[in-house]
Amino acid sequence: MEEPFDCIIVGGGIAGLSAAMTLARGGARFLLIERGEFCGAKNVSGGVLWGTDLQRLVPGYADDPDAGFERFVNHRRLTFLDDDSAFSVDFKSTRFDEKPYGGVTVLRAVFDAWLAGKVQQAIDESPYPDESFLATDVLVEEVLMEDGRAVGIRAGDEEFRANCVLLAEGVNNLLTRQVGLENPFVDADHVAVGVKEVLRMDVDRLADRFQLCGRSGLTNEFVGAATKGVEGGGFLYTNRDSLSVGLVIGMKDLREKGGTPYDLLNHFKAHPAIRDMIQGAETVEYSAHVVSTGDIRGLPKELYGDGVLIAGEAAHLLMNAGKAIQGMDYAMRSGMLAAETVLEARKAGDFSSAMMSNYRKALDASYIMHDMRSFQDAVHLLHSEPMFSNVPNVLCDFGRQFFAVRSEPTPKALSMMHAAVKRHASYWDLVKLGIKAARAL
Amino acid sequence: MNTILVAAAVQDGRLKRSTFEVMARAREVAAETGSEVVAAVLHPTARDLAPDLMRHGAVRVYVVEDPVFDRHVNVPVIDALERVVKAALPRLVVAPSTEAFKDVMGALAVRLGAGALPDVSEFGVDGDSVVAVRPVMAAKMLARVSSREPLVLVSVRSGSYEASASPVEGEIVPVDFSCDAGTLRQTLREVLSSGDGEVDLSEARVVVAAGRGIRDEAGRDLVLELADATGAAIGASRAVVETGLFPATAQIGQTGKVVAPDLYFAVGISGAIQHVAGMVNSRVIVAINKDPDAPIFDYATYGIVGDAFKVLPPLIEALRDAGKT
Amino acid sequence: MKFCVCIKQVPDVAAHVQTGRMVLNAYDASAVEAALQLTEAHGGTVHLVLAGPDAAKETIRKALAMGADEATHLVTASDMDSYAVSSLLAEHFEDGDYDVILTGKQSQDTDAGLAGSMLAEHLGRVYATNAVGLAVEGENTLLVTRQGDAGQEIIALPTPCLVTCSNDMNDPRIPSLKGIMASKKKPLNVQAVTPGPGRSELHDTQAPPERKPGIRIDGEPAEQASHLVHLLQDEAGVL
Ligand SMILES: Cc1cc2nc3c(=O)[nH]c(=O)nc-3n(C[C@H](O)[C@H](O)[C@H](O)COP(=O)(O)OP(=O)(O)OC[C@H]3O[C@@H](n4cnc5c(N)ncnc54)[C@H](O)[C@@H]3O)c2cc1C
Ligand SMILES: Cc1cc2nc3c(=O)[nH]c(=O)nc-3n(C[C@H](O)[C@H](O)[C@H](O)COP(=O)(O)OP(=O)(O)OC[C@H]3O[C@@H](n4cnc5c(N)ncnc54)[C@H](O)[C@@H]3O)c2cc1C
Ligand SMILES: Nc1ncnc2c1ncn2[C@@H]1O[C@H](COP(=O)(O)O)[C@@H](O)[C@H]1O
Repeated sequence: MEEPFDCIIVGGGIAGLSAAMTLARGGARFLLIERGEFCGAKNVSGGVLWGTDLQRLVPGYADDPDAGFERFVNHRRLTFLDDDSAFSVDFKSTRFDEKPYGGVTVLRAVFDAWLAGKVQQAIDESPYPDESFLATDVLVEEVLMEDGRAVGIRAGDEEFRANCVLLAEGVNNLLTRQVGLENPFVDADHVAVGVKEVLRMDVDRLADRFQLCGRSGLTNEFVGAATKGVEGGGFLYTNRDSLSVGLVIGMKDLREKGGTPYDLLNHFKAHPAIRDMIQGAETVEYSAHVVSTGDIRGLPKELYGDGVLIAGEAAHLLMNAGKAIQGMDYAMRSGMLAAETVLEARKAGDFSSAMMSNYRKALDASYIMHDMRSFQDAVHLLHSEPMFSNVPNVLCDFGRQFFAVRSEPTPKALSMMHAAVKRHASYWDLVKLGIKAARAL
Repeated sequence: MNTILVAAAVQDGRLKRSTFEVMARAREVAAETGSEVVAAVLHPTARDLAPDLMRHGAVRVYVVEDPVFDRHVNVPVIDALERVVKAALPRLVVAPSTEAFKDVMGALAVRLGAGALPDVSEFGVDGDSVVAVRPVMAAKMLARVSSREPLVLVSVRSGSYEASASPVEGEIVPVDFSCDAGTLRQTLREVLSSGDGEVDLSEARVVVAAGRGIRDEAGRDLVLELADATGAAIGASRAVVETGLFPATAQIGQTGKVVAPDLYFAVGISGAIQHVAGMVNSRVIVAINKDPDAPIFDYATYGIVGDAFKVLPPLIEALRDAGKT
Repeated sequence: MKFCVCIKQVPDVAAHVQTGRMVLNAYDASAVEAALQLTEAHGGTVHLVLAGPDAAKETIRKALAMGADEATHLVTASDMDSYAVSSLLAEHFEDGDYDVILTGKQSQDTDAGLAGSMLAEHLGRVYATNAVGLAVEGENTLLVTRQGDAGQEIIALPTPCLVTCSNDMNDPRIPSLKGIMASKKKPLNVQAVTPGPGRSELHDTQAPPERKPGIRIDGEPAEQASHLVHLLQDEAGVL
């Protein structure tokens, strides 16, 4: 029989590829299996990869004109919508032009495929150029277990053995459930549905409309009328010659309030503020995907077991506290940390659950678990009703008064605010919300 | 004087309309460049076809008569065309882009040391270059190409130009050629003619094309009736050809045939890029599909969202009524 | 029989967004599949040859993973027209004793459909194009079913010969994990080459003129039918 691999990685998304890169550099023998025709074929993200880990994974990527990202983010905007108005907080800084970038927009079909190419390069340069593999178009159907220990995988009628299996299968984590680390049914509370369109726009028009310069980009998040009163938010991100426009909508609330994600997206695109931004752009792609809400209670029972590790969104590692969705950077870091544990285990010749627990420790010590713990209240706040109804309504009402000049005596801003609040909410509720927000953020 | 040689396409003993489309354009190019248009026909009784070519402007018709041309076999076609070219000494050889010509074009170009611009939708002469436009990337893009070789072969997509008559007093030039089929290294064992389509796809003004949405015999009957009501040729998508309901000769698209009729009905066809590549230049496109988001609607002049099995019967009736008045 | 399949790496024409992703030409995948099926049934070997940039080795790996035995990569970054490709390949075949050379019937990106028959002429081989079926008959005959204009033609070709393949011939297999692993250990002969000149030039490519947005016809089937006929008659004037 052939010697088992050090590791089999299931899933060639961000988590899987980041792990693979780390393993290749660490001189391990591994097999990564992706069910898509190529890495990124079917993956969906809104599209901002936040943080600076990409620089660690692919040093110098920012200087490579062929690097697989779209634009770096130096302009951010958060917009509150009611039916006819938009109130924005807008921030742009040339400090964000400095490398390493703190955020880049990506199209997964391009980015993942590019990253896979970099991993292949790392394999070619590793001590085992012919014994580590990136295999696409193959679905892993089962994790092979012996005495409670993961020993390999089965794909169709082929079986392969490894000292450990790293599950990086994304949010539809069937194998994570198969190995018993997560309950068979995921609470609807812990998942949302994301829908997204890519709209093509002429580069020059795009640059003019969004004041882009070179490869700089804008990200815009939306709350309020974006989702027709259903819990969730919208986004618009600039790519090289396209826009990513979409919504992330609470599954439970959607079920209760009715409507399809597709209808909501069309409603969003028809909002005057969005309509004016996407005018003249042509829809070239539509996709929908489940996404975790980032509720820490949604995490699997444990993120490791005997011979098995869970990384990325398969482990529900994600943060969505209003100012950004962070799923890809969490996937990247957790993939790297999981791989580091595999390298340690390889050295020690020990793949037991005790050794694997080092991954959990590293994760706990990292910004991922730190932020997931400290921003839980913000996550809950964001998903609370006032955030997508009262707050945007009050702000837009205030905006309409404050920015209007009517050749009449003008009330003071404070009394405008007072009037706006009175029309849409109770003061006390908003004060409570404000206090909560101040604590949560 | 420069010469433009049109290699005629013959099917069932008749010249295909696409030959006349090419002739019409060849005359324009000849007028612009002070050239003359001549034609070549390979057929057991090629002489009979010459008058029609003269009616379309051929001042000389090179006829190569041999029983071997009754059916398409590539070697004698290449040999014969080589002889015609050596006799006519053209600047340009143009032919309709049929499977028969596609079969020989590359080999002939190498044999003659010629440039080759295949499957173009426009061609002309610009100074010392033969220039052309050809759809690429499954017809998503148009490429401008050219060749500076002293002899250039061009094949033209059917429907790219309008056929029109322009009679001249032409001359028949017999070309000495004979082929002993027994000496050929390859042998044509059998021809499985599909013979289904009454109207030739590449000639048709109206095409009714069926897709996988036409899932059974009952659906096929409706499609045949629609074709009958409109005098249309019958086309098909690859997916429905695979089911065996329609012959492979009906396949339209990147792998199949390219058509550009005045009116194209796409019935139960999703509109995959490889299918669209074969029909996007149709003048009026009618799409009937039950899925409102089917990509075919992006190309349709008129779109009907609905079940073909429900839409076709009243449509056939309405078309028959319209035909009566 | 000893087969050699000419394979090309092409951009993914079906992608909605230009991803820059490169794939194995679908027609060549069918040619590889055909060669594998015939050698699996009758014995023999399947070689591959690809001319293209260094990055095209991924495409070679994929075809090896399908089951081909070995490959030659003629490394060149030049853009080649079908003539330049066929001349380069002809040189490559000067010292190979392949019974059958297979090519795709056309490249998915350019739809030229010339390189196969050009190569046959360079090599003086008998050939058939647009094959939708292939069978081996006896020791040295290949039975080709080709799709012609009005039907299918069955042609017997003595080896050595060349056939260009349609994707209507078969559904190419998806490489298995074992195939993918084995592919890395298969012989890959890499040679730097400088192609000769072509016989045509590509000047530019642009998007075709946009079609006018269409009209949706709503209503019950009978209404839709009469509305459509009315439009075809009076607006489009095509009836
Ligand atoms: C609409 C939307 C917008 C989003 N916006 C953002 C954003 O702006 N920024 C951000 O950081 N995050 C965003 N996210 C979240 C982000 O996309 C995910 O958190 C991230 O992709 C998780 O990465 P991953 O590698 O864990 O999983 P994935 O990217 O889902 O990758 C999992 C991979 O495993 C493969 N796979 C699964 N099962 C198997 C199997 N059995 N066998 C073989 N292969 C298998 C899949 O094909 C896939 O390629 C968004 C998500 C959505 C839906
Ligand atoms: C290299 C290559 C070359 C190819 N070449 C060609 C080619 O030459 N020609 C070609 O056609 N394809 C070609 N294809 C295949 C192409 O990609 C598609 O698979 C094919 O065109 C799909 O055919 P379809 O639209 O009939 O089937 P589907 O995509 O299955 O669509 C069927 C449609 O019918 C609709 N429908 C179902 N029931 C009904 C009903 N009752 N009433 C109304 N509508 C209904 C459905 O909504 C659907 O849109 C090629 C592919 C490749 C890779
Ligand atoms: N660069 C190449 N390397 C190997 N074979 C090629 C190459 N380019 C074209 N071919 C072969 O020629 C066929 C297509 O010819 P054409 O449509 O003229 O480009 C392909 O299906 C391949 O079999």
